[in-house]
Amino acid sequence: MKHLALATALMSSLPLAPAVAATEGQRITVTGEFIDTWCYFSGVMGGPETVVGSAHHTCAMWCSAGGIPVGLLAPDGTIYMVLKIEGDDNNAGGDTLLSLASHTVTADGIFYERDGLNYIVVEEIVEDMGITNLNHTDFGIVPGFAIPPGER
Amino acid sequence: MIKSILTCAALIGATSASAQDWRFEEGSNARSWNLFAESNATFTGTVVDITCELTGDCAANCGDGARQLGILRHSDNVLVNVQKNDQALFSGGATDLLPFCGQDVDVDGLLLTDDSVGAINMYLVQFIRPTQTEEWTAAKAWTDAWEAAHPDWAGSGRWYRRAGNILAHLQTTGYFGLGLERDEEIKAELYD
Repeated sequence: MKHLALATALMSSLPLAPAVAATEGQRITVTGEFIDTWCYFSGVMGGPETVVGSAHHTCAMWCSAGGIPVGLLAPDGTIYMVLKIEGDDNNAGGDTLLSLASHTVTADGIFYERDGLNYIVVEEIVEDMGITNLNHTDFGIVPGFAIPPGER
Repeated sequence: MIKSILTCAALIGATSASAQDWRFEEGSNARSWNLFAESNATFTGTVVDITCELTGDCAANCGDGARQLGILRHSDNVLVNVQKNDQALFSGGATDLLPFCGQDVDVDGLLLTDDSVGAINMYLVQFIRPTQTEEWTAAKAWTDAWEAAHPDWAGSGRWYRRAGNILAHLQTTGYFGLGLERDEEIKAELYD
């Protein structure tokens, strides 16, 4: 179903028109994990499976608070860069996104595509499942210094 | 050992799938971050509020630092998503771009292009200047701006160890986000 919705949205995107209503959005429901996109896209800390989930939760909070874009990672690997969460447009360090770091949610919103990247305005978090990707069992904590030596 | 093997395998896979974009390399003086998907890139464009550009919902002064900013590249009208500034401190790029909201600028930095993870038209900005000027500004303003905005979190050490909003979450859900009790169990498994 997600693939169908994405395909429909991609087919419906329109070229840029300056000033207002730049891109035609399409309604979409997507289930995915809120991730730190810099570590994911850059590979700076390792492969993509290491920089998501419980293993990377603390770093995901650091990056979110630091103003790095947050993305919603769907199971098929599609990443939607988050523009708003339930009306909160603070997508560069806001507390709403910080509180959702690493959570898997089902979100209803408006999807946009521009120059190869996907974006979403989340209108409603339909379900917040919390942190479901328990990959600390494979990777411990990433990066290793996320937990200070005195607290290990 | 297993973790190391998996990570190395993932890195090798990502490297083989990467297809860096070298079209904007000429004239760049950006320094490498040793990222497998990076390519030097300097270009001219307009600093824009990405939410405004895509949805038509525009805020004054590009959101005054609350919104992600991008660069609408003049040569091909591509919206470049600026993910990072030039500080290796978990800091984004909006703070450094904000003084240039709506302005035409030259930028120098690193493009990220990696088909295996969907990275395209993403940027780490290192230097910015208004077009037709000579002096570059280093994109390292985030930490100073953060310190100025949060005097109550002042202290020694990295900002992310002192940030009250992060500490509040850590004190509630722990480093793995699974609750303090589970956090202690995991730490015991990892370090004892």
